[in-house]
Amino acid sequence: MKNFYRKVAFGLGPKDKVPSDPLDWATSQLNKIPEFSWKGKILPEKELRNYYRDYVYGDRKVLRKKFKNDKDGYKREKNKLRHLTGQKFWWNLELCIRHSEALKSETPVLAKLWYFWGNHFAISEKDFLAQYTTGAYQREIIRANMNQTFEKMVQEATVAWTMIHHLDNNDNVGPKSQEAQWAKEKGRKVGVNENHARELLELHTVSPDCGYTQEDVIQMAYVMSGWRPNWGKKRLETGDVHFNGEYHQPGTKRILGKKYKSGRKSLSAVITDLVNHPSCREFIAMKLCRYFITDNPTKEMMEPIIRAWEKSDGFLPDVHKAAVEVAFNYSEKYNKFQNPENWLLIMSKMSDVELVPTPKLMDLYTLGLKPTHEQRSLEYLLRELGHHPYLAKQPNGWSDVSDDWMSPELLIRRLVYAKEAYYKKNRKSQTNEFYEEMVEKNYDNSSEILKTINQQVDLSNRHVMLFNLPETLKS
Amino acid sequence: MKISRRNFLKGSATTLFLAGFNFPVLANTTKKKNLVIIMLRGGMDGLCAVPIIGDRNFEKRRKDLILDETIKLNSDFALHPKLKNFYNLWQNNLGAIVHATNIPYTKRSHFDGQNLMETGGHIPYAIKTGWLGRGMKLGELKGDGLALSLPMPLLLRGIPSNDNFYPSKKRLPRTELLQLLKSVYADKSEHDLANMMEIIANRSMMSSGGTSMSRKNSSLAYKAGLELKKINGPRVAVFEVDGFDTHAAQGGVNGSHSDSLIEMDSIFKSLEKGLGSEIENTLVLTLTEFGRTIEQNGGRGTEHGYGSAIFMAGGLLKKSQVYTDWPGLKKKELFEGRDLNSTIDARSVYASAMSSVFDIEFKRIQKEVFWGDKLQNLSDKLFKV
Repeated sequence: MKNFYRKVAFGLGPKDKVPSDPLDWATSQLNKIPEFSWKGKILPEKELRNYYRDYVYGDRKVLRKKFKNDKDGYKREKNKLRHLTGQKFWWNLELCIRHSEALKSETPVLAKLWYFWGNHFAISEKDFLAQYTTGAYQREIIRANMNQTFEKMVQEATVAWTMIHHLDNNDNVGPKSQEAQWAKEKGRKVGVNENHARELLELHTVSPDCGYTQEDVIQMAYVMSGWRPNWGKKRLETGDVHFNGEYHQPGTKRILGKKYKSGRKSLSAVITDLVNHPSCREFIAMKLCRYFITDNPTKEMMEPIIRAWEKSDGFLPDVHKAAVEVAFNYSEKYNKFQNPENWLLIMSKMSDVELVPTPKLMDLYTLGLKPTHEQRSLEYLLRELGHHPYLAKQPNGWSDVSDDWMSPELLIRRLVYAKEAYYKKNRKSQTNEFYEEMVEKNYDNSSEILKTINQQVDLSNRHVMLFNLPETLKS
Repeated sequence: MKISRRNFLKGSATTLFLAGFNFPVLANTTKKKNLVIIMLRGGMDGLCAVPIIGDRNFEKRRKDLILDETIKLNSDFALHPKLKNFYNLWQNNLGAIVHATNIPYTKRSHFDGQNLMETGGHIPYAIKTGWLGRGMKLGELKGDGLALSLPMPLLLRGIPSNDNFYPSKKRLPRTELLQLLKSVYADKSEHDLANMMEIIANRSMMSSGGTSMSRKNSSLAYKAGLELKKINGPRVAVFEVDGFDTHAAQGGVNGSHSDSLIEMDSIFKSLEKGLGSEIENTLVLTLTEFGRTIEQNGGRGTEHGYGSAIFMAGGLLKKSQVYTDWPGLKKKELFEGRDLNSTIDARSVYASAMSSVFDIEFKRIQKEVFWGDKLQNLSDKLFKV
């Protein structure tokens, strides 16, 4: 049962009380979205996007022209521009905010679900989104909607600037739109870009199990045409997302057998139908079970989550509670391989290692300067572990199947960074008793585990062993 | 020695024709062959790497980017002067080029293009596995892939148990601890973990001898060469080189595009060094998402284009050659009036290479890896079959 604390959260830290009712401890964290526990600066997405604008404009419109004959000069000035716009800092700050929710907040279960949704509506590595707006998008669009319906989350994520840019909907032009006409007259060719439409169906809502066709994807792209950033000479592609009818494909569209009138309101109408499709709740229930419980969820596991969804119209706190309860009920039988980021947070929480820089240190940052080693430590660490949450390779996000994390190099990183973490800590606090308490609090088979790790005399080796035992890797 | 089932069947079929049925013959016909793919991210400029000689259109359109002192390969094509190691291979019949080629993707987005160069598909993100992974699956090469990067590249997805090597800058725990963990994994029936720990423990012994643990591609390539050389080592390796997206200051011989080409060139050199004589049984191919515009832009760089080139190296090449169906560089011969056209589907080259190296019939690869797409079998023309 104690693996439940690691399964739906990050284990119990030395100062955490052992909950008298574990399930209640977990589900009571899911009703509200509390303020962030991070006490330092938090910037709005819009402000961060403006930094991105300054970077893109400065590089594309100024430096490339100015240094066309000077490779080294171009590199040097571009580096300056990176620092002037905080390119190496903001995502580190976002990671501090993110990890504080796992380590310092009263709601680690909510945090683990936040990571799930951030990865479900993933922004993968594209341009410099990760460095500027991905973290803020995950705060303002994803987390902020975790006490709303799934529909609301989809509606907002779909037209979020970061998502629209990420999936190229700015290139999605109705072939019979006004813009297509004008382009044709000028000898340019424009047309639909299906990326966003496909991912909305495949990854975000109904999944291929619902049986949509390529024609449905194209029709979906028609519905989405016109949703794009408000373009400007100075802001380029970083303007707010709006519906521009000149880019919209006229005429009725047909998706999954249902007709939709043309215009601004059609996207929202399609989304309402998609989230209410049975395949959508089955898909989300499957993914929640896969995240918490096992690589191969069964119908029986998914069933209570689907029922909670149907009863509440996809009200996320209810869906989350159902998922957590299923995880609780199956905690004896199943252990889930923890992805590197969640594993790191488990280690950090249980052994009380401070991996997150302090708000004070982060707030010392001055634009234009290169952030210090310490200020950049989280981003570096996550990359070294092979799992930076803002740098997924594909729009389907990071995998939650253990096979994909099973490689020698990835496991080596867990060994060496377990050791690193040990040495980050004050040695005086690391005693035999400290480890004994930690193990007893967090593992059902605590005496077996202590026997195993105590084969090593050195405490740092015990630490490395503990966090690389099957019981920890799979929780 | 590792013999895949198909290889074995092929080997025994051959030997049936031979009066003296014996093992050396079998071993000979089932030589371990290696395939290495170097992904060139950002859009490699085929016309910078392998410029055409004496084309007025070309010289006119990018007059500030024309290279001095190129190396002449034949009457039509030259080589970027910094690609010295590749030229060395070329002179030994171990280097060749396919020109005016690309994957069938024309929309000029890195994001989509790189996805398609790895999946081999037509629609970005529609396919979740890589063409190399699918090819390896067809060849039953489980556990034979090695990526020289941290997260596994999409290109290798489609077959489990690939290895990867991208050394951590920190020291591994002592071997004794690794062995202990391994035995714990084994006791708990965690076989995958136990296997991984076995590899890690061996690796730790390998690296304790003071070998350099740099992440530079040249150093990774030397390591990979040593691994590929082993009879029970990996048969497939994948590298990545970034930085080909040179919108500005692409420059000439010392420009930014050259920097990335030099890095690619260093992989050829180190692989050869690591492989030793096994370079004879190896094929190295490059892969990129698209070429670059012929015309230079206002920043003396180039924009995203279409047709590019593939560098090939190794003893499984038929001969040194620039293999191309040259489309020409007159305005009307260009793709959308601006880019070098692609007259050879790059996937034909990769499918033929997999057919030759993995000993799988081309048609099977065409059908099962590339969905029966129209591809040419170029094995006879490019590779030793």
